[in-house]
Amino acid sequence: MSALWYAILAFMLSTYVVLDGRNFGAGILHWIVARNRQERRQLIAAIGPLWTWHEVWLLGTGGIMMMAFPRFMALVFSGYYLALFLVLWCILLRGISLEVGGHIDDELWQTFWDSVFTVSNALLAILFGAAFGNVVRGVPMEGDGSFYLTFFTNFRVTGQVGLLDWYTLAVAAFAALVLTAHGATYLTMRTEGPVHDRSRRLAWRLWLAAVPLFGVITALTWVVRPELLSGLPHRPFAWVNSFIALGGTAALVMGLKQQRERLALTGSTWLIYGVIMTGAAALFPVMLYSTLPSAPHLNATALAAPDHSLRIAIAWWIPALCLSLFYLYVIQRYYSGKVKVAKENQGLY
Amino acid sequence: MLNDPALWHRIQFAFTITYHYLFPQLTMGLAWFLVYWKWKALRTGDEKYNRAARFWARVFGLNFAVGVVTGFPMEFQFGTNWAGFSKYAGGVIGQTLAMEGMFAFFLESAFIGALIWGEKRLGPRLHFWAAVGVATGSWLSGVFILVTNSFMQHPVGYTVLEDGTLAFDDLRAYLLNPWVFVQFAHNQCAALVTGSFVVAAVGAFYTLRRQHAEQARLYLNAGTLVGLIASLLVAFPTGDQQAKFVGRYQPATLAAMEGRFHGGRLADLAVIGQPNVAEQRLENPIQLPGVLSFLAYGTFESYVRGLDEFPKDEWPDNIELLYYSFHIMITLGTLFIGLMGLACLLRWRGRLETARPMLWALMLAFPFPYIANSLGWMTAELGRQPWLVYGLFRTTHGASKVVSPGDAIFTLIGFCGLYFVLGVLFLYLVGREIMHGPGDHPE
Repeated sequence: MSALWYAILAFMLSTYVVLDGRNFGAGILHWIVARNRQERRQLIAAIGPLWTWHEVWLLGTGGIMMMAFPRFMALVFSGYYLALFLVLWCILLRGISLEVGGHIDDELWQTFWDSVFTVSNALLAILFGAAFGNVVRGVPMEGDGSFYLTFFTNFRVTGQVGLLDWYTLAVAAFAALVLTAHGATYLTMRTEGPVHDRSRRLAWRLWLAAVPLFGVITALTWVVRPELLSGLPHRPFAWVNSFIALGGTAALVMGLKQQRERLALTGSTWLIYGVIMTGAAALFPVMLYSTLPSAPHLNATALAAPDHSLRIAIAWWIPALCLSLFYLYVIQRYYSGKVKVAKENQGLY
Repeated sequence: MLNDPALWHRIQFAFTITYHYLFPQLTMGLAWFLVYWKWKALRTGDEKYNRAARFWARVFGLNFAVGVVTGFPMEFQFGTNWAGFSKYAGGVIGQTLAMEGMFAFFLESAFIGALIWGEKRLGPRLHFWAAVGVATGSWLSGVFILVTNSFMQHPVGYTVLEDGTLAFDDLRAYLLNPWVFVQFAHNQCAALVTGSFVVAAVGAFYTLRRQHAEQARLYLNAGTLVGLIASLLVAFPTGDQQAKFVGRYQPATLAAMEGRFHGGRLADLAVIGQPNVAEQRLENPIQLPGVLSFLAYGTFESYVRGLDEFPKDEWPDNIELLYYSFHIMITLGTLFIGLMGLACLLRWRGRLETARPMLWALMLAFPFPYIANSLGWMTAELGRQPWLVYGLFRTTHGASKVVSPGDAIFTLIGFCGLYFVLGVLFLYLVGREIMHGPGDHPE
């Protein structure tokens, strides 16, 4: 049962990354693909009406984590205390910048909020990437599983590690790059005019740049946790997810080449799903990897809620997922068209 | 209290949740006004209802956005600041928190963009359903969070595992906790009070300024009528029942709420007075004899226990604050009924729009439901102390051990700063919308 919920948690988290990744990417590219106020309003209008829908998947993921792995949530959230508040504050600023920018037709006002939008999104992409790197690398746990992480120590990946070291920073850079490319792919589909053309050119280049970096990250992971990669042949779920990632890559390349924008976005979506889920499958069953020899690694089973609770939760989680697929269908119907360049500088988004 | 290891975590949670809840109470209250106006517009085809819905949707959108961004830290603080509590009770309360995310937040957030932005794209009928979706989502979120809180107030349906943590025994009992029905009814009526006071205040503001007469009449009519009904329901039966539940399941809390240090029959209801905890008596009291016995247990003769019948380490740890919160809430609730009753009477006689003192009162009254709502929650949460899960788990054991007070103070100060700026921004932008009025807005 805990294995199933581990998979569901990974699925929820990947969904969040895929959805909010569009905002992160769009935010990072905001000043690059949109060169004047009208174009920046256009970009905001392309993601504005959906930002809460994308963002609440993180709350959904947090709720599932608390329900299925309460001990994991308790250890990890308190251990990453300061980093998590940085994430929360960035999320707060990102949301506000989206909401209030359009309310006043004033150049300074909008420039300010557009900058807040870019900085908070860039920080979020980097922080989430570093968080993923931390899960892979492990944390310096005490015997009872508790830990309290500083931002950085000596940048090594063993012993008393910090949030940032050479490995997590590399993963953060990779994540930021991939999410930027993902955002560019989304903007290509959702916009027209100059913003569209710039996004299309950039999407291609960013995805190309991600290829060598992916090789680097894989090599670095080999250095940090060699058993993860050498264990892959024995993990059928990791294969399945790798194939999803490969299929996504093929669709992405085809979509970008033939200018089939929806196909490209589908491809980049499955690519990101595949990569995160492959990582999750490779890490299983260890959820908290210990970098200190004194403490044992903590498995999903040890961190999970009792089986009885997990079984109850399946009964409502499946209908809840069906409902969210229905919302997704409605949203797709009304919000997949292209957003034009704004005629005015004002508008609710 | 100052040597409490959980102190700073408590202050941070209290601050962030009180601030956060200023926004959802208006969301939940206002949502049904939007549904009502969208429905009237659909049925009558009268454009004035659409204008009202459009105007309030703009205010709603700002309010909703601040609610979302301030709500985010709430769920995460269970893990960051209350790791002990998450570990202990996560197997039970995690269930409703996860449901809240999947059922309520997904529904609300999927349709909020459509509600505020998509009138043209969706057409009138679907746009109405978007409003219904958002309103339903916001109230569903209330259901799940109140089931969670009810468990903390009156734990049912659980078992204690070998390692001392909680697990489900009976999900049905947990979801159908008797406490939650009363608390939900009381809380949602109180949210409607906030919504209706805000709507009425804007109506009074425009009438006093002789602006937007047709719209102002709409707001005044809806605001005062809903305001009167909701204010009545908050007091009776929901508030009355809530107090009876406290009397039945948390007798020490009731004693502290009333500043009752010694037990006895024919218990007095304190109308005015200040608790003196050191000397265990109520200073300068004005009391109604027997009324507390009657209200809590149904007869004037009923025995009401005093704090001296409970061990001191089970007393709520801030009796003064609890007493003031409860009493000011009751006083405000009573005044709300009077104010809205008078306003409805004037409206019925057709004199509300010319009764300028009344309009002034309505315009200036809107902050008070926010105060009453906050005080009601302070009563509930301070009253539950020293327990985090009543009778089972103490608040001091719930805080994260690995987080030092310094870190908690640091993040608390961060929140103070951010939320101050956020508040100024919100008031400024809502003020702009109100000054701009419900006329045609560039879209």
